[in-house]
Amino acid sequence: MDNIVGTKSSLTWAVNIAVVALVLLWTIPTFGLLVSSFRDRDQITTSGWWTSLSASEQNLQLRSAAPREAIEENGEWVVRGNLFGEGEGNLTAFGVNARRPTEFAPGATAERRDAFITVEANGDYRITSVEQPEGSRGTRIFATVVSPPKWTFENYDRVLFSEGIGRSFINTFTVTIPATIIPILIAAFAAYALSWMEFPGRALIIATIVGLLVVPLQMSLIPLLKLHNGVGLGKSYLGIWLAHTGFGLPLAIYLLRNYISGLPREIIESARVDGATDFEIFRRIVLPLSFPALASFAIFQFLWTWNDLLVATVFLGNNEDQLVMTGRLRELLGSRGGDWEILAASAFVSIAVPLVVFFAMQRYLVRGLLAGSVKGG
Amino acid sequence: MEQLFYALLTVVIGVFGCVAYYFFSNLALDAVFPAKGEEAGRNINRANAIRPWLFLFPALALLGLYLLYPVYQSVVLSFHDARGENFVGLDNWIWLFNDEKFGESMLNNALWLIFVPAMSTFFGLIAAALTDRIKWGNFAKSLIFMPMAISFIGASVIWKFVYDYRGADQEQIGLLNALVVALGGDPAAWITVPFWNNFFLMIILVWIQTGFAMVILSAALRGIPEETIEAAILDGASPLQIFWKIKVPQIWGTIAVVWTTITILVLKVFDIVLAMTNGQWSSQVLANLMFDWMFRGADFGRASVVALVIMLLVTPIMVWNIRNARQEMR
Amino acid sequence: MKQFLWAGAAGLALVAGTASADGHLPFTPGEGDFSWDSFEALKSMDLTGETITVFGTWLGTEETRFENAMKYFEEATGATVNYAGSDSFEQQIVIDLEAGSAPNLSIFPQPGLASDLAARGLLAPLEQADADWVRDNYAAGQSWVDLATYKDENGEDQFYGLFYRVDVKSLVWFSPENFEDAGYEVPETMEDLKALTDQIVEDGETPWCIGLGSGAATGWPATDWVEELMLRTQPPEIYDQWVTNELPFDDEKVVAAIEEFGTFARNDDYVAGGAGAVASTDFRDSPAGLFASPPQCYMHRQASFIPAFFPEGTSMGEDVDFFYFPSYAEKDLGKPVLGAGTVMTITNDSKGARALMEYLKTPIAHEIWMAQGGFLTPHSGANSALYADDALRKQGEILLGADTFRFDGSDLMPGAIGAGVFWTGMVDYAGGKDAGEVTKSIQDTWQSIK
Repeated sequence: MDNIVGTKSSLTWAVNIAVVALVLLWTIPTFGLLVSSFRDRDQITTSGWWTSLSASEQNLQLRSAAPREAIEENGEWVVRGNLFGEGEGNLTAFGVNARRPTEFAPGATAERRDAFITVEANGDYRITSVEQPEGSRGTRIFATVVSPPKWTFENYDRVLFSEGIGRSFINTFTVTIPATIIPILIAAFAAYALSWMEFPGRALIIATIVGLLVVPLQMSLIPLLKLHNGVGLGKSYLGIWLAHTGFGLPLAIYLLRNYISGLPREIIESARVDGATDFEIFRRIVLPLSFPALASFAIFQFLWTWNDLLVATVFLGNNEDQLVMTGRLRELLGSRGGDWEILAASAFVSIAVPLVVFFAMQRYLVRGLLAGSVKGG
Repeated sequence: MEQLFYALLTVVIGVFGCVAYYFFSNLALDAVFPAKGEEAGRNINRANAIRPWLFLFPALALLGLYLLYPVYQSVVLSFHDARGENFVGLDNWIWLFNDEKFGESMLNNALWLIFVPAMSTFFGLIAAALTDRIKWGNFAKSLIFMPMAISFIGASVIWKFVYDYRGADQEQIGLLNALVVALGGDPAAWITVPFWNNFFLMIILVWIQTGFAMVILSAALRGIPEETIEAAILDGASPLQIFWKIKVPQIWGTIAVVWTTITILVLKVFDIVLAMTNGQWSSQVLANLMFDWMFRGADFGRASVVALVIMLLVTPIMVWNIRNARQEMR
Repeated sequence: MKQFLWAGAAGLALVAGTASADGHLPFTPGEGDFSWDSFEALKSMDLTGETITVFGTWLGTEETRFENAMKYFEEATGATVNYAGSDSFEQQIVIDLEAGSAPNLSIFPQPGLASDLAARGLLAPLEQADADWVRDNYAAGQSWVDLATYKDENGEDQFYGLFYRVDVKSLVWFSPENFEDAGYEVPETMEDLKALTDQIVEDGETPWCIGLGSGAATGWPATDWVEELMLRTQPPEIYDQWVTNELPFDDEKVVAAIEEFGTFARNDDYVAGGAGAVASTDFRDSPAGLFASPPQCYMHRQASFIPAFFPEGTSMGEDVDFFYFPSYAEKDLGKPVLGAGTVMTITNDSKGARALMEYLKTPIAHEIWMAQGGFLTPHSGANSALYADDALRKQGEILLGADTFRFDGSDLMPGAIGAGVFWTGMVDYAGGKDAGEVTKSIQDTWQSIK
């Protein structure tokens, strides 16, 4: 397509830079979530995600070993250990009072409750006292440390391997696949009829469908669930397919009719002249030609049904064989939510499938578009 | 594993059942009115009169049941009390027009209706035009499209990490405030600033919807016949002129579709507002107001009235759209 | 196609064949100080094949603990209990009840909502004998009976539910070590608490962490503050009138209580992050300030469930402790306690549902959860030695020893108020709006839904 653009290197540069800027703007928020999904909850709530990309200075509250583990040495009772366990630490200041957490430099000695506390830069500490100390709770030591970036897979571990997520994955597919294909099929036939078939009341139907685009979903929930219960559908997969189909239809018909009515008139007329029935025209000509439109609507409908929580909670039960991903993820958030690290990881788990679908469909999208632009008869 | 089989089975039955309807109903129609024999001409006419309805029947049945019937219900309920039992005349409507939250919602919705479709379409158009010109365009498209794939619950977490506010003496964990502080400003609780918080919420929707606009518009841009563009290049038009004067007018119809679709979405959007502010700090919108009365106030009469207002608001756009569509048909 | 069908049929057969037989009980019957006799007594009921669906708000750990408590019922009677929890319980139960697909039992966190639904005839009333039982067996029994007595669709009072699991709200959380480092004492009266607050400010520190954020429910922590302060500035009768709107919401007494809350929340020196941060800080994040280094605040008022949101590894009584949110010495209103709780009601009557209600009357149903932690109960037959930790026992004592116990007022008000404009109004107030204006607007809404 380069010949169309009329290649100018400065322009190409400008375009590239503009796209980079646009892409950055659009991805940074998500990238922040991605980074956060590898951090633990305390990190997330105390520092910005960007700080985890480089070494950072943190104030920590740590504890020594229990006083009752003190051993007697030269007439003194000593507790020894390393604040960071076996790990390497880089301590720049410490303190023993909440008011003055950075009072002492590494190697200095602090006094608290008749005990003398010395902390080295690597985290080694030594607490000495004359009397034998008691208790199971270690001394609080406030440490200012420079810590390297730290990552954890624990969040994903919890989201992916917690009970039942595989089941909800399958449940979601059971909901989304028919809920994507059925409305497209129905809408494509309807869109064809509304574009290329003559019959009384066509304009009225088009107007009604466009009008129905704005019906707020929430309004329909109770009357429809009542209806489902009334006819014995209850909370079943058939029910949710029908619901998703019904709610997705106006937009599907609207978008597809726009595309299908724009197909070249000559192709359809000539097929009619050749004696093809409408069903054949639809199957042999319209369906292949409108592939790009079908593919893009399929992507959108798939995304909507995949990410939907409202319709699923109303029309499907929340037992083991019916709970969908979004519902399961919400349960993972715990009784009162607030676990950001789980939210972050689960958001990524739930994005994965739609993204794969988009990448996979995109090839067809482009191919379909190119095929559509070839003029033929 | 067994669930997988069961799921597959249901999927296959569901989808095949649907295909079978169209296939067999057409077969049946052709059998009843065969296009051959002595009555071929009459049969074809009859079949042609019935066939549109065969094609339309499933769509119309579902639309009627899942959308028209609830609308009818809403109209009826809007004249009844909370439980939908006693007729109260225009009481709900009177309440609505005296409710201060309603006024606020109308104002905010007006903002949303102008800002979100305009910005999404604008950015979508730019993104579509630019990415079509570069080698890694498809990759860039996928990244811009990515927000579409994120559920609202995910999106609100993502933007919480952007708008989050901590006191001035603490470390900021929100990106926006960190930037503001780095530039020497004072951090603010962005989503609690009346009026402006609307824009912070709208940005989220623009961020999500740009991908939608981009995909549709990119398809339209690629569908423009090359001859017109080649002619313009020969005339010495600059790329910018080609874009605004040749390309954009040709895809005007698609832009209108995208605009309308996003407008409709804006009127129905409540997830973002519900998750981020729940309409507090003067950021209420109609759809969330309805949700509030429906499920928190459990007052179906009032919820229906708000729903009807949403539908009424969109009518002019719809009328315009239908008129457009019909002109194109001629 | 044929193969698919065959595979599907095989799949169905497999599903049927692997009916789970998980009989693992967390506490072995007969061991420990549990009231096992009440467990044994259950075995006289035979409910084999009966399935009971239960719907509530508990998820995660709470869900597991509740299911553990249900296992003993299943073990004894042969019934199956299917529990499902949801974050959007309040919306979903309305939809399901209206549409006719309700679970057998529903666990309401807000009596106000249960009462709305009872008035629509959607809940099945219990027997008068059940009410008598609660009166005799729950501490302050009459108040629990009153909280579960609503008008049915004919306007007649009926008894609808058993309270299972309650929370104490009137707690102030603090770090004993931080108090010790700074030389502060736990205050005994509201006057002392205010003096301590000023003392902390004088020392150049921030006394309080307050966060009202809670997603769609933002604002509710402030309603708890106002209720606490109503109980500490007005006699309980006035509180009751306020909850039923006999006392208009814009009465000066209410305005005064809200302004009392304002003296804490609207003072930049008193709250971490300044007054502007109060409304936007998530209530789940706000206690983190207690554990920061250096501490961002010294005190946090919140209900007994909040330890679930403390940093991992926080040790109760050592890293963190609580004291009773004190009352004014000068007002002579005793020591009022604010609480909340979940009420179990029958939303779809069946033999199994009635039997499960009977089970909830047994001490063992309460003890199993008590021993797992995070559970308080007014059931006086339950052995309080079984509380999982001392903190719970102490909270239990606060609950049982209250001069005045009042239920969370916003949970008793109609949904549009208690889960609507009261929340949003408090957010507006925290943002700087005048208390008189806010209460006026709340009262207007209340007037409009009568």
